[in-house]
Amino acid sequence: MKTVLVIGGGVTGLKAASELAEMGYNVSLVEKEDYLGGQVTKHKYYKLAPDLRLAGDVIYPVIKAVESNSNIKVLKHSQITAVSGAAPEFKAKIKNSKGESEETFGAIVVATGFDHFDPTVKQEYGYGRFKDVVTNAEVEEMLNPNGPTKGELKRPSDGKTPKKIAIFQCVGSRDRQVGNPYCCRVGCVVSTKQAIEIKEKYPDSEVYVYYMDMRMFGRGWEELYGKAMEDYEIIFTRGRGAEVTLKNQQLSLRAEETIMDRPIQHSVDMIILAAGMAAGEGTIDAAKVLGIKQNDYGFLAPKDDFLSPNESSKPGIFIAGADKGPMDIENCIVEGAAVAAKVAGSLKN
Amino acid sequence: MAENTDKMVIDGVELTGIWKEFLPSRILYEDVTTEFLDEVKKLPGGSTIVKCYQCGTCSGGCTLPDFVDKFNPRRFIDLVRRGHYDILVNENKDLVWKCVSCQRCTHRCPRGVNTQEVVRAIAKFLENRKVFGKITNDEAFDEIFMDEVIEDGRIDEVKIVKDFYSKTGRLKDMMSADQISLGFKMLTSGRIKLFGGRIKDWKKVSQRLKEELQ
Ligand SMILES: Cc1cc2nc3c(=O)[nH]c(=O)nc-3n(C[C@H](O)[C@H](O)[C@H](O)COP(=O)(O)OP(=O)(O)OC[C@H]3O[C@@H](n4cnc5c(N)ncnc54)[C@H](O)[C@@H]3O)c2cc1C
Ligand code: SF4
Ligand code: SF4
Ligand code: SF4
Repeated sequence: MKTVLVIGGGVTGLKAASELAEMGYNVSLVEKEDYLGGQVTKHKYYKLAPDLRLAGDVIYPVIKAVESNSNIKVLKHSQITAVSGAAPEFKAKIKNSKGESEETFGAIVVATGFDHFDPTVKQEYGYGRFKDVVTNAEVEEMLNPNGPTKGELKRPSDGKTPKKIAIFQCVGSRDRQVGNPYCCRVGCVVSTKQAIEIKEKYPDSEVYVYYMDMRMFGRGWEELYGKAMEDYEIIFTRGRGAEVTLKNQQLSLRAEETIMDRPIQHSVDMIILAAGMAAGEGTIDAAKVLGIKQNDYGFLAPKDDFLSPNESSKPGIFIAGADKGPMDIENCIVEGAAVAAKVAGSLKN
Repeated sequence: MAENTDKMVIDGVELTGIWKEFLPSRILYEDVTTEFLDEVKKLPGGSTIVKCYQCGTCSGGCTLPDFVDKFNPRRFIDLVRRGHYDILVNENKDLVWKCVSCQRCTHRCPRGVNTQEVVRAIAKFLENRKVFGKITNDEAFDEIFMDEVIEDGRIDEVKIVKDFYSKTGRLKDMMSADQISLGFKMLTSGRIKLFGGRIKDWKKVSQRLKEELQ
């Protein structure tokens, strides 16, 4: 039986590995960090959109399916440094603290995921300059009882719980100035979810979302949006955040209320930037080592978006999940399973 | 906005009720068109207007609203694009040209609209349509001065005075006794000349200037 190399231990790679192992294939799962679960684990996601279900309830079973399967060899803190050969016989060099070794694989699955967009470059939003301007990933960590603030939303500047909170949508997405004209596809639902979590925990707080469009195309997303307005009185203002300044030690934002045709200046205690999804370093590295095609934004390009969505530009190398572009967890799990089926098919021939 | 006085009469009975006749309609009766968008698009600096997706980043961060009420680059673009010419002229014609060219809008626009240039193009569009009405003496003089520099590369004093009076509709004043005597004095003392000189090959420069400025 041929062995399959899966690169990346996020939800996509985990799903692909466990599906392949269940079909009887041997799998080597290579993960560069020392934990499994990808961004979900890294940023301690607490509750998932749209059901506000505990992230652990989703991610732990997926991790467990991998760790409990003897067909899967998990290599943490490891990276692929070179790949030679062609389908169905690749030779890959795997490097970790124990040194470098070479192994032979029948097929390769790339599931290297994404990185959170770094909003420091959007200088007008003051991230990095004003302590109380934070990212949505940082808020995920704060809201987790096992996170740095033990589940409390706290202002980094003084440790106080903010009363007025503004959320800026589309930070680093739909933005030609930073070279990311695409939509991050999860920002809207994640912000809506975070706003609800905040209101649930702090009913006296006020949450204002500044948006251009609320894109709620996933299962249950539109319903969550309705709930946010009706049950939680979250205020959605149609206008993209324009700038953040400090006025008398207080954060102050400017945006246009486009429905009223008027710019507004709004003082708040904390601003959350809904930073989008960018092609990760790990994905760019993997593409280089494997010699597979990327799209204009660094994400991995399928051979044919419609007809072979999980095949890379090279035979025998398959791609899945958020390394192809922004994707939510539900779809990543579907992708993980789909790529496993495709790999199994290719190894039969 | 037109007054809605439609009646719905069925079998001789007026069904809409009297209230409908005294409430002004909120419906826009403007004949909207994309004609204006086409026009602005073709003006210098106007081409990027098509990229705008109305996010409000420009207007949200614009320098002017603190000083000039209702100045709103996003809205100017919207009105042009959707062809709301009457609103553009009635409510915005005195605003558009006030842009101070600080470029904050252009640097921040997520779509790559050159917003400052587009605002200028919209001002030019309105100017081309002569919506600014009667111009002041100062403005008239500036225009004539510029036109002459572009046309001849220099100023011809007699011509500029004549054009100024003509543009401001006061040719009669120019022919008044004291103006004629003043002109005569200046001529004989050599302060002005009857015919201005020419600059060699200015035609080419003039052509280029006109292309640039349109
Ligand atoms: C703030 C935020 C909140 C979110 N909340 C939700 C939510 O509530 N519901 C939802 O459905 N989705 C949510 N998402 C989306 C979710 O994060 C992604 O769908 C999911 O993490 C993608 O999984 P993945 O396995 O494809 O990639 P990742 O999670 O990025 O995992 C990739 C893994 O590959 C590893 N790796 C990368 N490169 C290499 C390499 N060269 N060699 C070895 N290993 C490598 C990485 O270390 C990582 O462990 C959210 C996203 C953001 C930004
Ligand atoms: S998902 Fe929402 S926040 Fe993200 S880029 Fe799209 S519209 Fe903006
Ligand atoms: S910032 Fe750009 S896209 Fe947004 S409203 Fe202004 S011109 Fe349009
Ligand atoms: S260039 Fe003009 S429209 Fe743009 S921000 Fe400055 S004043 Fe406003």
